[in-house]
Amino acid sequence: MSHMARALKATYDFFAGDAILLGATALAFALGTLLERVAHAPNPLIATCFVVLLAGGLVTTLGRELRGRSRHR
Amino acid sequence: MSADLWAVLAAAFLASAVEFVEAFTIVLVVGVTINWRSALAGAAAASGALAVIVAMLGVALVRVIPIEGLRLIIGLLLVLFGLKWLKKAILRYAGLKALHDEEAIYEEQVAEMRARGEHHSTRLDPFGVVTSFKSVLLEGLEVAFIVITFGSQVGVVGRSGGIGVAALGAGLALLLVVIVGAVVRAPLQRVPENTLKFIVGIMLTSFGTFWGGEGLGIAWWHEDLFLPVLVAFYLVVAGLLILWLRSYAPLSLHPAAVELDNPVSEEVLG
Repeated sequence: MSHMARALKATYDFFAGDAILLGATALAFALGTLLERVAHAPNPLIATCFVVLLAGGLVTTLGRELRGRSRHR
Repeated sequence: MSADLWAVLAAAFLASAVEFVEAFTIVLVVGVTINWRSALAGAAAASGALAVIVAMLGVALVRVIPIEGLRLIIGLLLVLFGLKWLKKAILRYAGLKALHDEEAIYEEQVAEMRARGEHHSTRLDPFGVVTSFKSVLLEGLEVAFIVITFGSQVGVVGRSGGIGVAALGAGLALLLVVIVGAVVRAPLQRVPENTLKFIVGIMLTSFGTFWGGEGLGIAWWHEDLFLPVLVAFYLVVAGLLILWLRSYAPLSLHPAAVELDNPVSEEVLG
């Protein structure tokens, strides 16, 4: 593994370390920005989408963890 | 002191305590197996490096970055850190991952160093210094991050004061960990680390959601008073997830293989 790849991996592990959590968080912030700045959606809708996507990321990654463990048994 | 500053003090104290416990475990291993001179030299060098980094980042954050952008970035990073910690704490509470066994990590470190032929002496040992330096620097960077991010959130005018209060919280946590460590002279295995990590995970995620949302332009209902609502929401979600996952847990668990195979990296990466 090259130094650059190792540095990128270390940065990813330090800040995220979980692709599903990273994806869900990125999606929540991206969608929030679009709803607020582009669609000018109502505030409660943006807040609800934002929080639900973040919590959904946690649920999804734990579900995947469970499926992974079930497969290994 | 205002309620905001008390909240920053408490949050910085709790979050920093977790990091200090982890760093202290490694320093203790080096001190016991090699010598205290090497352990403390590494820790002191890392503290010096951290002081420089914190000073540079603090100036950059306070003078250059606009508060809305700062909230967005900080919120994003806090959510990532918080969810990562929360995930591990939930898996441990549910019985799907062994509780973070500081004693097992300590014993593993001791065995590794003995296998390398390390022995007690009073000379500075490069391996001991570097091991201590690395752990203190990496865990300390997380503390610096916590101090700057938490402290920067106390309004534009009181931001530098907020960083001071957050640093005070981190300093108190360090003092407490060192005192407790000196008294028990063991890797702080009695500190209920998973409980601490769970609480910090909830707090980081809630604060991150709140600040990230503000950075996006969300006007939270009743502003700061909405923060406890977010905390309650994540507590309920985490509680339900623990109940759901617990039904799939095996009867007993030993520390996860990855933790014993590579305890230092597991500690550093949280």
